[in-house]
Amino acid sequence: MANIGIDLGTTNSLVAVVMSGKARCLLDETANPLLPSAVRYEPDGTVVVGRAARDEAAAHPERTFTSVKRFMGRAPAECKADAALFRYTMDESEERFVRFSVPGREPVTPVEVSAEVLKVLRARAIECLFGEPGGAVITVPAYFDDAQRQATKDAARIAGLEVLRLLNEPTAAAIAYGLDKRETGTFAVYDLGGGTFDVSILELNDGIFQVLATAGDTHLGGDDFDRALGEHVLAKAGLDRRGDADHRELLLAVEAAKRQLTDAEQATVSIGGAAVTVTRAEFDALIRPTVERTGAACRQALGDAKLTADKIDAVVLVGGSTRVPLVRTYVGELFGRVPYTDLDPDQVVALGAAMQADILTGSSQLSDDLLLLDVIPLSLGLEVMGGVVEKFIPRCSTIPFSQSQTFTTHVDNQTALDLHIVQGDRELARDNRSLGRFKLSGLPRLPAGIPRIRVEFLVDADGILTVHAKEEHTGIEARTEVKPSYGLSEDEIERMLEDSIDHAETDVDVRLLIEARVEADGILTAVQKALSVDVALLLPGEQAVIDAVASALQTAMTAEDRKRIADLSHKLDEVTAPFAQRRIERDLTLALSGRDAGEVGKQLGLKDRTATGEKA
Amino acid sequence: MICYTCNEAVKGPVCVGCTALQPPPFSLDPFVLLGVPRRYHLAAAQVDEAYRTVARRVHPDKFAARPAVERRMSLQWTAALNEARRVLKDPDRRARMLATGQAEPREKGGPKLDPTFLAEIFEWREQDEETPGALSELAREREAELRVELDTIFVAWEQGTGDLTLVEDRLARLKYVTGLIREPSAPGS
Repeated sequence: MANIGIDLGTTNSLVAVVMSGKARCLLDETANPLLPSAVRYEPDGTVVVGRAARDEAAAHPERTFTSVKRFMGRAPAECKADAALFRYTMDESEERFVRFSVPGREPVTPVEVSAEVLKVLRARAIECLFGEPGGAVITVPAYFDDAQRQATKDAARIAGLEVLRLLNEPTAAAIAYGLDKRETGTFAVYDLGGGTFDVSILELNDGIFQVLATAGDTHLGGDDFDRALGEHVLAKAGLDRRGDADHRELLLAVEAAKRQLTDAEQATVSIGGAAVTVTRAEFDALIRPTVERTGAACRQALGDAKLTADKIDAVVLVGGSTRVPLVRTYVGELFGRVPYTDLDPDQVVALGAAMQADILTGSSQLSDDLLLLDVIPLSLGLEVMGGVVEKFIPRCSTIPFSQSQTFTTHVDNQTALDLHIVQGDRELARDNRSLGRFKLSGLPRLPAGIPRIRVEFLVDADGILTVHAKEEHTGIEARTEVKPSYGLSEDEIERMLEDSIDHAETDVDVRLLIEARVEADGILTAVQKALSVDVALLLPGEQAVIDAVASALQTAMTAEDRKRIADLSHKLDEVTAPFAQRRIERDLTLALSGRDAGEVGKQLGLKDRTATGEKA
Repeated sequence: MICYTCNEAVKGPVCVGCTALQPPPFSLDPFVLLGVPRRYHLAAAQVDEAYRTVARRVHPDKFAARPAVERRMSLQWTAALNEARRVLKDPDRRARMLATGQAEPREKGGPKLDPTFLAEIFEWREQDEETPGALSELAREREAELRVELDTIFVAWEQGTGDLTLVEDRLARLKYVTGLIREPSAPGS
């Protein structure tokens, strides 16, 4: 079973696999590797994913979801602006995770929407690989925090994928480039996608990729270019911000114009009967503030890597938004060299993910000489007295990483301790992202300050944190009850899994139908063969009955009714039973007249063992 | 050590007989984990080289297709290895590890500082009020002196003479003076 690599993107998603030592993206029926990350929920319960959902978004604005990656693992309070931008109606009753209202249907979470995209990619893999993929490496923006990573893993689980590893997107791109070019040295990967921006500094040395630093912004990307251009077009056309459908139409129109401006000096946007011409220079001026925001992250990453721009040997561009000429010029100036663009910026992340997936099989040619060492993007810390953060894992630490801290109690007989874990690099807890509150309960009753509670924080190779605690004097394992601040609970995931199993019934039906057809085909073949050799054994009128049932079965096999196929197969068995009986009797007579019992057994379709038994 | 699956005697992280990953050593001494000499004078490149050698054998990527118990051990191994590298690439942590067996100060804020040292700092602050910038200047000088002192202590120790009793105190002083360098000049100046 081959492992697959998946790039679950804001705008487009891809699946790739290593075949005969080379990574390639799997294509859809129109030979396109890109699956637009767009999902539409129909009133009848069906789900439309991909190009159709994206292109028809303007006709069904209230039931179509795009760019949901922006909402993964976030709290409703954090993404009001994003929801307004995409005109999504958030379910206000939920505080821990985002839920979008869909008319005539239960609200959906971004995790479920992403799972629909992943299901389509999984189906594509099954089709291309002639079977279930072994496991999947799924890429995430390097700057994704713990909750965003967990949400991505949850989506994969709901889609029925076994996640082998979450891989940072720039790192995936570096693998694809490094292995292709057999480079050694220090790379900068500049990854500007539809909704996220990452920059990573990596060192490739003797087959080991060491990520030195990473920085970014999980809310910066091509979507922002579209928005800026859209507002400009509306203002120029003298139009107001209007209804949802028009908004979707506008987004599609400006996105097309943005693409044109990659090669053309000007483009025209037709909207609401007006045609607005935008020049490259105007576009550049509109997006310059967004592009310049990426510079701060680049400088931070260089600083964390303790390097200056002139120490970077090569700069790699990743993500569809790096096709924008201003972005290319800006990155070129920032690092003082012309960036690499040899690999398709849309595909490079998926290709790298497939290579890592192949390495993780343990039997790949690459796995012996290649090793990937990634880092955690943001510091992890605990809230201590006064709301101040005490960092216990600094950002850009190589993962996996573990750190232990010892705590004690403040009052006599205290049996529980609350820990608040935050992620981020700000001094005050409230300025960072709350990851979760961990309640350590079941502590032994001891005077204040005596218990020594050792808490181990472990960040695994996916960049996800787990916590274990133990009281050292008594050896009592304090129970850690993790209350994630944002995201779905285990129960909620279970429920979604069950929902997806309901949908999976269709898959089971398909399998049973195929099995019924195979069985029917076997019976038909056997009957035809018997008739052709032993037509003399038929009674008058018997052939007509058999033929009637056989042809009914053949017709049924071309349809989808599994029960009918099974019933007719059974019927055919029944009507041919006397004929079959006569054949057996005839063969037995032949055997008794001097033939070898083993051969008779074979003719009778008995197993050799039985035949030998008779002989003995 | 005896392999937990095939009972063969094992030396490295991986059993030669059955290729099972062994648990990381109970004592997570960074020098032992990385297999580098117990020295203060240790080049970063040597630490990196040793790190790469072990990481290639124990990293979770090498065990993704192995049983859960080995995946878990691989995680523990690599986490310990990453911490060991972090300790050994930092001269102050490395020094403290050699002197006290721990990378971080044993008490919060380190051992109590000598009163004469603190009195000296007080004098520096007074000077800084007269001549802004004097504090960080003096702190910088003292930092250099302390580094030389640590270096001398360890040169002797590595040659088998001298001991490390002063190291913890000198590291605490070092931490204090480097904090002063970053401190903004006296207010009002």
